[in-house]
Amino acid sequence: MNAIEIRNLRRVYRATIGTLRRHIREVVALDGISLEVRPGELFGLLGPNGAGKTTTVKILTTLLIPTGGQASILGFDVVGQADRVRPRIGFIFGGERGLYWRLSACDNLRYFADLYHMDPDRSRRRIDELLELVGLLGREDEKVEGYSRGMRQRLHVARALLHDPEVLFLDEPTMGLDPVGARELRQVIRDLKGQGKTIFLTTHYMFEADALCDRIAVINHGRIVALDTPERLKGYVRDLRVIELEVFGIAPPVIDQVRALPTVDAVSVEDFEQKQILLVQSPQGSELIPEILRLLDTARVGKVVVREPTLEDAYVRLVGGDRGLAQVD
Amino acid sequence: MNRSTLRAYLRVVATVFLLHLKMQAVDLFVVFTVLIQPLLIALLAIYIQRDKAPDIAIYLIVGSGMTGLWSGLLFTSSFAIRGERWYGTLEMLVGTPTPLGVVMIGKVLASVLLSLSSMVVGYLMAAALFRFTLYIMDLPGFLISLALTLLAFVTFGLVIAPFFALSPAVEGWVNALEFPVYVLGGFLFPILMLPGWSTPLSYMLSPYWAAQALHATSSGSGSVYPNFPVALDWAMLLLFSAIYIFLSGRLFGMVLRRAKIDATLGLQ
Ligand SMILES: Nc1ncnc2c1ncn2[C@@H]1O[C@H](COP(=O)(O)OP(=O)(O)OP(=O)(O)O)[C@@H](O)[C@H]1O
Ligand SMILES: [Mg+2]
Repeated sequence: MNAIEIRNLRRVYRATIGTLRRHIREVVALDGISLEVRPGELFGLLGPNGAGKTTTVKILTTLLIPTGGQASILGFDVVGQADRVRPRIGFIFGGERGLYWRLSACDNLRYFADLYHMDPDRSRRRIDELLELVGLLGREDEKVEGYSRGMRQRLHVARALLHDPEVLFLDEPTMGLDPVGARELRQVIRDLKGQGKTIFLTTHYMFEADALCDRIAVINHGRIVALDTPERLKGYVRDLRVIELEVFGIAPPVIDQVRALPTVDAVSVEDFEQKQILLVQSPQGSELIPEILRLLDTARVGKVVVREPTLEDAYVRLVGGDRGLAQVD
Repeated sequence: MNRSTLRAYLRVVATVFLLHLKMQAVDLFVVFTVLIQPLLIALLAIYIQRDKAPDIAIYLIVGSGMTGLWSGLLFTSSFAIRGERWYGTLEMLVGTPTPLGVVMIGKVLASVLLSLSSMVVGYLMAAALFRFTLYIMDLPGFLISLALTLLAFVTFGLVIAPFFALSPAVEGWVNALEFPVYVLGGFLFPILMLPGWSTPLSYMLSPYWAAQALHATSSGSGSVYPNFPVALDWAMLLLFSAIYIFLSGRLFGMVLRRAKIDATLGLQ
């Protein structure tokens, strides 16, 4: 039996726009996705903002009813058998809301331990263990309102692990954590996998997915555009070269002209304060540079580098190069 | 439902009860609604009826206590689910194996018992400040009435909570429901003083029957039909509680299903 099974999942949101002349706009957040996650697998869902990651996780955690299709966890339907699903899963949604700020971390955890029907003796021991694990031991009696963002995120992790669930859903778990905290959390995630947990993780960060996941599904505009191991995803761009051009001010029409060049595969732009980095993927390497420079105002071009593609580039190619929202620091 | 689940639910009710008290006791709005406002009402009522006050003091204390009980119930219950949504905790709660209604029992119970303190404080104030001799006519009857009042109020709260989470459109009604119930419920003066057409409205309100029972057993006054024994009030409170329990189950089901379809468990 699969730990997670998704068949043709669709979700349409209806958003009302305007206050006076109200009309309804439909947003297709999931456009028929299917996938399976095996028990013990660490599965990554990777995609830009608005791709449908959180929507998928909300449906799988029984918090949202799909418009079409089915999903099941450990063989239990997430809509019809939500009661069977809930005790077996844990989840966190990136961000700091979802805790009782006027209560201490310890009170928050005790409360959720009760909600998960944990035996009081067991929960006391478990809470200490988890506080230690997420590095909040010693601060557990302080009110959550005095916590930093990262501390709240850690508290969420502890909350999700309280009842030792078989399947874990982590929606952008490292959001808001400092680099050290993020690295520690990734180690926690690896350890959980080591204990045999099934983990469904969403992230914007290619390197995070690469470092952690057994398999990655890349989602864009509500569709799965690739599903493979990190290694095989890298193979998608093995035949390509990446040309990186440092530019100082570039107009969108020019980017489109570069994209229209016959041998160019994908183009993306990363914005920095003073400059942008134009990334051009093509089977051609340095021989393409003169052609690109002809389109650009050469006075505004700095360093030009040709390099081997990374998993990051595979991702850019899959989601169509509009990487503006999905930057890696 | 087996016994271990039941035990787990009771533990949730107890925990929510304690944590909720912890949070409410420092909430200025709550303190004002359940403590200060009823005391102001009591003072005002004593001032208006200052000639008769020593004789009807217990009536005024019970009546103003009822206003605190009702306002506390109305405001905390109507905010019970919406508040969780606001803090982002509603999704967390719904995602656990405990039904939301069980959590709400703990919350409503805490706020009803907290509101009850306004009656106690009113009693102490009248005794200490005004040196009224306070005397409850039928203490056992009064305690039974109080217990049934709490039952009816808690179950009513379990209807109010999902009702006001149904749609943003009904949120505005909360304020409009506070004072009319003071009057229609006959908290501080008998409904005989009201026009005849409003009497059926009073009968449809459980707070009215609660006020009847509490007044009849404490001061012996307040019964519209003195030949009706207090047993009728008790029966009505039980009947209302049963209806509320039934309605509440339906409403929780409806609200949660709607929220999972409309994606309104969390704030977007
Ligand atoms: N409650 C809602 N009402 C209307 N539209 C919504 C709602 N929730 C999500 N959407 C829309 O559905 C689409 C998918 O959103 P979703 O939150 O699943 O994306 P995501 O991949 O998690 O993005 P991010 O990386 O920004 O978290 C977006 O277009 C979003 O605007
Ligand atoms: Mg998201």
